[in-house]
Amino acid sequence: MHLKTFRRAARDAGLNPYLVEMANIREQCSWVHHDREAATAKAIEVIRMTVEKVRRNHALEPIKVPLTPRALVIGGGVAGIQAALDIADAGHEVVLVEREPSIGGKMAGLSETFPTLDCSQCILTPRMVEVGQHPRIKLYTWSEVEDVQGFVGNFRVTIRRKARYVDIDKCTGCGECWTICPSKKNLSEFDYGMGMRKAIYIPFPQAVPARPVIDKDDCPRLKRGKGCGLCEKKCAAGAIRFDDEDRLVEEQAGAVIVATGYKLYNIGRDQEAGLAGYGEYGYGQYKDVIDSLQFERLVSASGPTGGELKRPSDGATPRTVVFVSCVGSRDNAKGLAYCSKICCMYTAKHAMLYRHKVHDGEAHVFYMDIRAGGKNYDEFVRRAIEQDGAQYHRGRVSKITGEGGKLVVRGADTLAGVAMTIEADLVVLAAAMRPADGVRRLAQMLNVGYDENGFLSESHPKLRPVETNAAGVFVCGACQAPKDIPEAVAQASAAAGKVQVMFNQGELTREPEIARIDETNCAACFTCVRVCPYTAIERAEVRSPKGTLIKRTARVNPGLCMGCGTCVAVCPCKCPELEGFTEDQIYSMVMSLA
Amino acid sequence: MSMADQPFEPKIVAFVCNWCTYLGADLAGTNRLEYPANVRIIRLPCTGWIDFNLIIKAFETGADAVLVSGCHPGDCHYTAGNYHARRRWMFFRPLLDTLGIDLNRIHFAWISAAEGRKFQQTVTEITEATRRLGPYMNYRKIVEASA
Amino acid sequence: MIEQLRQTCRRLLEDGRVQVVIGYGQSVPGRPAIPVFIRRPEDADLLVWNDRCFTNLTAYLKRPEVRALGRPAVVVKGCDERAVVVLEKESQLIPEDVHMIGMVCAGMDDPPAAKCAACDAHVPRHADEVIGEAPNPAPEPPGPAQRYAELAAFMELPQAERMAYWMGELARCVKCYACRQVCPLCYCERCIVAKNRPTVIDTSATLAGNFAWAITRAFHLAGRCAGCDECTRACPAGIDLRLLNQSLARVAEESFGYRAGTDPQAEPVIGAYALLDQESFIR
Repeated sequence: MHLKTFRRAARDAGLNPYLVEMANIREQCSWVHHDREAATAKAIEVIRMTVEKVRRNHALEPIKVPLTPRALVIGGGVAGIQAALDIADAGHEVVLVEREPSIGGKMAGLSETFPTLDCSQCILTPRMVEVGQHPRIKLYTWSEVEDVQGFVGNFRVTIRRKARYVDIDKCTGCGECWTICPSKKNLSEFDYGMGMRKAIYIPFPQAVPARPVIDKDDCPRLKRGKGCGLCEKKCAAGAIRFDDEDRLVEEQAGAVIVATGYKLYNIGRDQEAGLAGYGEYGYGQYKDVIDSLQFERLVSASGPTGGELKRPSDGATPRTVVFVSCVGSRDNAKGLAYCSKICCMYTAKHAMLYRHKVHDGEAHVFYMDIRAGGKNYDEFVRRAIEQDGAQYHRGRVSKITGEGGKLVVRGADTLAGVAMTIEADLVVLAAAMRPADGVRRLAQMLNVGYDENGFLSESHPKLRPVETNAAGVFVCGACQAPKDIPEAVAQASAAAGKVQVMFNQGELTREPEIARIDETNCAACFTCVRVCPYTAIERAEVRSPKGTLIKRTARVNPGLCMGCGTCVAVCPCKCPELEGFTEDQIYSMVMSLA
Repeated sequence: MSMADQPFEPKIVAFVCNWCTYLGADLAGTNRLEYPANVRIIRLPCTGWIDFNLIIKAFETGADAVLVSGCHPGDCHYTAGNYHARRRWMFFRPLLDTLGIDLNRIHFAWISAAEGRKFQQTVTEITEATRRLGPYMNYRKIVEASA
Repeated sequence: MIEQLRQTCRRLLEDGRVQVVIGYGQSVPGRPAIPVFIRRPEDADLLVWNDRCFTNLTAYLKRPEVRALGRPAVVVKGCDERAVVVLEKESQLIPEDVHMIGMVCAGMDDPPAAKCAACDAHVPRHADEVIGEAPNPAPEPPGPAQRYAELAAFMELPQAERMAYWMGELARCVKCYACRQVCPLCYCERCIVAKNRPTVIDTSATLAGNFAWAITRAFHLAGRCAGCDECTRACPAGIDLRLLNQSLARVAEESFGYRAGTDPQAEPVIGAYALLDQESFIR
């Protein structure tokens, strides 16, 4: 408990602090034993043991590792935007990588946000513009992280810039190209298929950068290699590049923030292993059974219907809408065990927004429990029920069928103890939140752990919530666990704060009580590589000056080792040695007890 | 050797991790929780470090019982050191059993930094149980035959 | 079988697939076959195959002087090849660098050695080529009960008797380290007994040192021992080290369904963990 105190005292007195050891004869002796003789005998032995150890201590110096004060932020949703801006505003450079054509993420597509009903784009797009114009943020959109090498302080990141077919430096974003493009009937990814877009497009009007991309599967010119080319002819800036190709660029970074966000659970029958899906809900079969993000686009003022609520099948205004929560969440049998946390809130919001648009419409909500913990959250749900007249039914929906232009929703209200059948015009399914596609591969690249659901693992659930076990890699937003916007933003600022703490040091200082490996004797079985919780041990080669391989060996990266000593115990020939806890020290302590 | 008229006082060596059990022992002290003075605590960073040879060495130096203790599953300061240790103990105990080494002489416990009372109880129970067992004569014979 | 073995040896050397074939050569009749290192096709006739081919020749793969001979082929029985699988898992060998000539084996010695009585690998499974006919009908493969029969019988003894047994047995150990030398999986460049700061294991042949060594040797093979029993066969003091190896192999098999060297895809059991590992023995 007090070792640190005394080591600090030694340092202040001009001694090497690592030469200090403590014989714990207070907490672990005089305070716990009342038999004076026995306690004294024990104290003598404890001191003898500690003397044996301290004789073998080495003067150690903190390990300094040079640092590139530049952050890589992966994912340009609200979490990534917040993290990037915080770090850049603090004076450090940021590389922000987003795989879609624009930053903004899921939040850019939301209509209004709970519990305040702010317009999502109104609060987000100014932040997006800030990112786009920030002198210290280098933005890569339509790009993905391909590879990460190196370690804390010194990552080398390879980024794939996917072929955009538009030179974004020449393009002025005037919009002539997408106006003239004749290929119109392509489902918009941004609208989750609720609207159409051209083959050359910007996903939404406030996109950052406001530069289009050509979808090579939709563009007649790119599909056939000839013809059309109207956009090219129309482009005064000469920015269209039909011969564009993917390019790899390399960036250096000292820290990485992962903010890759989420996707929705796939409700239909088409499922990955272990998930059964909800085929009985008719999602994908009936046009008017949609998921929650699709509904967001339908009620968004900037959405494909201009904010007028029209159901997908025939454009009619739905008179009765059924909202089903926990689709995929909290369902061990068919879906995922966890609670997606935000669905109760946005379902209340959906019911509310619907009633604001269709005053005489009926909004029915089927729920399991209402989880509305948060500032003004429960009040918000009460408002949906009490002021806006949403009809809440505690129970599950068992089946949805289409009959004569209506959707027949069969379920139960378990509080009333009755079976319910509702003829609905539109059904909205609150699908579970899942980590975005590709996050596992990214996690493996970064040596970050993830749980059985694919959410990234923080280093400690309470005390290190944005750190990971990979030094220099931080997490924020929904890639770590389901969370709402305020939480994602708070976590992003926390991650950015951790990065700033690191960068402000100028160089990395690491505890010197770490392992090193006797490379002469290492038999290169690499069991230590497998057990190291920090991937701090690497497979290395010893080569002669001429380059011939002399031997292979395990090698500790002092920038990553945290000093647990798990490598010591698994090594059969005891090649790892942990400073501060050398075998010589520990065995001397044991033998002093003889 | 203990004299016939004196009660036998066993020698117990405890290998504990720095982050949980060592702090649990400190907490026992801060709370003045009394326990027998037979235990000698050796601090290691993590149960992941604790090699089986250390346990053998403790018996060679005359320990009558050994306690190995660290963080509860899920609490390891280094995430997984205690899991690796637990896996090794799963193998180590049957090997010792085959050799006829008394497994009642080797104790494993998860004791967190908050469990000062569990530390007190564990050490007390082990000390009393070892008193009842008497000196670990078998290993002492092995050592004496080696002198 | 012998002729086919010799032809294979000639072919591998002539084709330049390998530079040395490690196989069995004739010793004094009735004595175990001796290892031979065939480097010229014309020497292939030195190879023999009989029920005295005990040696696990894969132990030679780790030797620097054998490695210096070039790419090897090695004659293996179904039990021997498991060591190669483990060596590959532990980054000691690259599969393409070793050619395994598998021999169908009906058991060594007459009556068969202890390991042969519970053999379930009469036909090698991982060898690059297999010589000999699989027994037809295939014998009923023995189960875990047969594999650990001697251990189970030994464990019937009271603990004090087991200790007394090992005190007697290990008192004879002279620390010659033959058990280590013949083990294909003891490949450390410096054995832990040779590390002297600190001296973890008493290097003189004292009873305490012998216990420490027996425990260490066995435990270093936990979840790795391929069960070839060469340590036991090589021990000049006749100590039944097999029992110790088996106690560890039994944990691997019973707790994890793992038998070292039988499945190249299986995850090793040491240096790994499961969140729900058994812990009824932990307070």
